[in-house]
Amino acid sequence: MKLTTENKQLTRLAELMQSERDHLFRYACYRLGSATEADDMMQDLYLRLSKQGARLAEIEDLKGYVYRSLTNSCTSALRSRRQFASTETLDTLSSDDLAPKDFEQEFQLIERLMVHLPDEQSEVIRLRIYGGRQFDEIASICNIPLTTAKSRFRYGIDKLREALEKRGLI
Amino acid sequence: MKTNNNLDNFSDNRVENLLTPRFAPTTSREFKAPAPRRRPLWQAVRISAVAAAVAVVVVIGISSVQTSTASEVVERAITQLLESDNFLVYFTANVVENKNSQELYDLDFNGTPMQGTVEISKEESKVKMAIKWQDKARSMELYDGESYRRYQNGQLVLERPHGGIDLTPFATIDKLKDYASLTGILLKFREEGDMILVSTKGDKVGIVARFSKSEGRLLGVECSGLYNGQQVTVLTVVQIDFDVPPTE
Repeated sequence: MKLTTENKQLTRLAELMQSERDHLFRYACYRLGSATEADDMMQDLYLRLSKQGARLAEIEDLKGYVYRSLTNSCTSALRSRRQFASTETLDTLSSDDLAPKDFEQEFQLIERLMVHLPDEQSEVIRLRIYGGRQFDEIASICNIPLTTAKSRFRYGIDKLREALEKRGLI
Repeated sequence: MKTNNNLDNFSDNRVENLLTPRFAPTTSREFKAPAPRRRPLWQAVRISAVAAAVAVVVVIGISSVQTSTASEVVERAITQLLESDNFLVYFTANVVENKNSQELYDLDFNGTPMQGTVEISKEESKVKMAIKWQDKARSMELYDGESYRRYQNGQLVLERPHGGIDLTPFATIDKLKDYASLTGILLKFREEGDMILVSTKGDKVGIVARFSKSEGRLLGVECSGLYNGQQVTVLTVVQIDFDVPPTE
């Protein structure tokens, strides 16, 4: 059967989502703190992008577009619950907290570290570590120069290192 | 393009190690290219007619709970369906007259609400159906696996060959998952008091099935979608009787 442009694009999208599934899922998990929410969000994202049909052909960097859409969806979802965000900071962090025993504890630890950073730095770190993206891909997703992507990552890590050293945690 | 991901010193690596996930959850969700043409849920199956839609809604409503946590309620509901050779479904549907007269009515967001019943009988792999409409002509449509027959005012008015209703795509949870993946259906579960709500979310149509925890049975199913910016219910299953004696 001859595939239409729409069919080809939907196949392209499905194959991309499938090949990037684990990275997308892990990014969403450590952004939202819930595997169920992450799973739902990925499905919602897939359905939403599918609706674009043949217009997907106009998107050259589909992978970057998918990640950008996911980061935006996560940000929107988190915005509504921002007021309930943990008030725990690095000042109350103990050495026990640095050795989480499950996903929930690990997510809490990472969240406490991330809130110590400006959003633009934490986002680059999340895309790098949880999304498994290369810096050039991060630059494309965040629409920033490659050097900025690298420096945001470095500054973020440096800031965390200094904060943890100051508190005698590393 | 090569990128440098190395950190400058040991402390930096320790920070990165702290951030590296060790308990990352995994997902088994699969993304598959959808069927060539995306259609409303009831049209996605190679069957038409309201009777088939009712069957699909009921069977999805029951089958989908298999992906829930191992709840006794759910197991009892599924067992009930699997062990029942005959069941009678009372429904209300928004319908319009079928334009090509292949069947009597089509589901339509803009249709007129009409009540009816569907009797589903299972005989080995074959599914027989009888749909009775509460319209002026007391219409009845029969699918016996070989033909389609329509009666109005007690008289046979139309008969043509028909291969019957194929519920194979919904026969097992694996097949249902494949179907859900192809049609972009998302299954969700939540509890509200005595009720367990199982919902599916497609791109155009959603189904919500309600189960009673205390009674351990399926209470009803609703099928709705967005039409002109409003959520419109096109099909409501109001009651399901199991193991009813087959009617003539």
